[in-house]
Amino acid sequence: MFDLQSFLNELWIARWAVLFGLGTTVAISALAIVFGSIVGTLVGLALTYGGRFLRLAVRAYTDFVRGTPVLVLVLASYYVMSTVGINLTPFQAGVLALAVFCSSHVGEIVRGALQAIPKGQMEAAKAIGLTFRQTFLWVLLPQALRQILPTWVNTAAEMVKASTLLSVIGVSELLLRTQEIISRNFLSLEFYFFAGALYFVINFGIELFGKYVERKTAVAGQG
Amino acid sequence: MAFLLRGSALALPVLLACMSLPASAQQATSKLDEVLKRGQLIMGTGSTNAPWHFKSADDKLQGFDIDMGRIVAKALFGDPDKIQFVNQSSDARIPNITTNKVDITCQFMTVTGTRAQQIAFTIPYYREGVGLMLKAGGKYADYAALKAAGKAIKISVLQNVYAEAMVKAALPDAAVDQYDSVDLIYQALESGRADAVATDQSSIAWYMTQRPGRYKDAGYGWNPQTYACGVKRGDQDWLNFVNTALHEAMTGVEFDFYAKSFKTWFGKDLPPPKIGFPVEFK
Repeated sequence: MFDLQSFLNELWIARWAVLFGLGTTVAISALAIVFGSIVGTLVGLALTYGGRFLRLAVRAYTDFVRGTPVLVLVLASYYVMSTVGINLTPFQAGVLALAVFCSSHVGEIVRGALQAIPKGQMEAAKAIGLTFRQTFLWVLLPQALRQILPTWVNTAAEMVKASTLLSVIGVSELLLRTQEIISRNFLSLEFYFFAGALYFVINFGIELFGKYVERKTAVAGQG
Repeated sequence: MAFLLRGSALALPVLLACMSLPASAQQATSKLDEVLKRGQLIMGTGSTNAPWHFKSADDKLQGFDIDMGRIVAKALFGDPDKIQFVNQSSDARIPNITTNKVDITCQFMTVTGTRAQQIAFTIPYYREGVGLMLKAGGKYADYAALKAAGKAIKISVLQNVYAEAMVKAALPDAAVDQYDSVDLIYQALESGRADAVATDQSSIAWYMTQRPGRYKDAGYGWNPQTYACGVKRGDQDWLNFVNTALHEAMTGVEFDFYAKSFKTWFGKDLPPPKIGFPVEFK
């Protein structure tokens, strides 16, 4: 039933569509992960070291976002924002929704990692006269990073998969491009498998990157 | 502080969305003036359903819905290419109209009472229905033969909650095989696992157009559905304009444009409207 020749032929015809879709998926995921990680780190810091009022506000933000389906966030950032006069393109709205979602998850990861660091580290840093900024960058972050990485890889892969939801607001990402191709040539099984393989490659890349950073930050002798 | 801002930036729009905006807000000028001033039409449509709205091999949107948009663009600017397409899923058809993301949506939208309460429908441009496709020169010649065969026949259909009831409405005794993708229902017919395919007549027409001589329409249609474009409610000028453009494409000066599109996507030649007394009043 599987006809390799005709599949390869159709794939060649659709090569640009597939590449553009792949590029869009990678771009959206990368932007969401980068912004989400930056904001998420701040969220994690606020949750761990913020004052009571700040903690409460940020806690409300993370709980609200984590308790909302990504699809709802996507629709909200596209439709609800426009009712208050902020007109985002589907691409921007998609990046915003995924970045917000990512930040809440990274925030929790960072909070957990920071809280797992023994109190003595913070006290020692204070004792030798480091500012909070120096303490975070030189003492806490390097230790927290080892805790963060495995779960961060998980969240990053989740973002790539969540990017498929953006087809609802008309972002031509890989899955929508694949569906467009299938609607023309009816080779559904072949092209869905192919798209699945591409998603795997992206996520495998993220995993390799995570492993690489893990190796770089590993403490000798602690494996 | 930045965190606070983020939190409230999310909460505020949610609150606003809960308070429904007054529908009576009178538009100062019509959408018609706005579109003319902009110099191009913005139409919402999909990209994954042949022959309605789908991508050609060189990645351009094409299909019958697309041509309907071009008819309106031609009426507006004398140029069918002065149109910009907003890619949207079927779920986004109504929201994108009500939130002004598009001027018009033509995306094989079935006219229903519920939808007509949310948006304004134009005049219809196509009547969809379910049909049966057979192999040319096969065991059964047409619908009458299928019906006479009773229990002996098997119909392949796209998986759906209503699929079984839909087929039984036309062929009460036939066995129904549901498949979960479009290519499989056609494959079932091709390989002989099914005697006929039951699906939208437009899909059958498009499939047969691409494979001339291999298949035939059984010549029976049921489950009628009206397809029309949608615009925002409360702008009679704009609605009238679009209606006029579509009407003249089906009966007047742009008939050739409509008929050519109909031939391309459904493979049928349309007889020109009768000259003399207007066909609408017969």
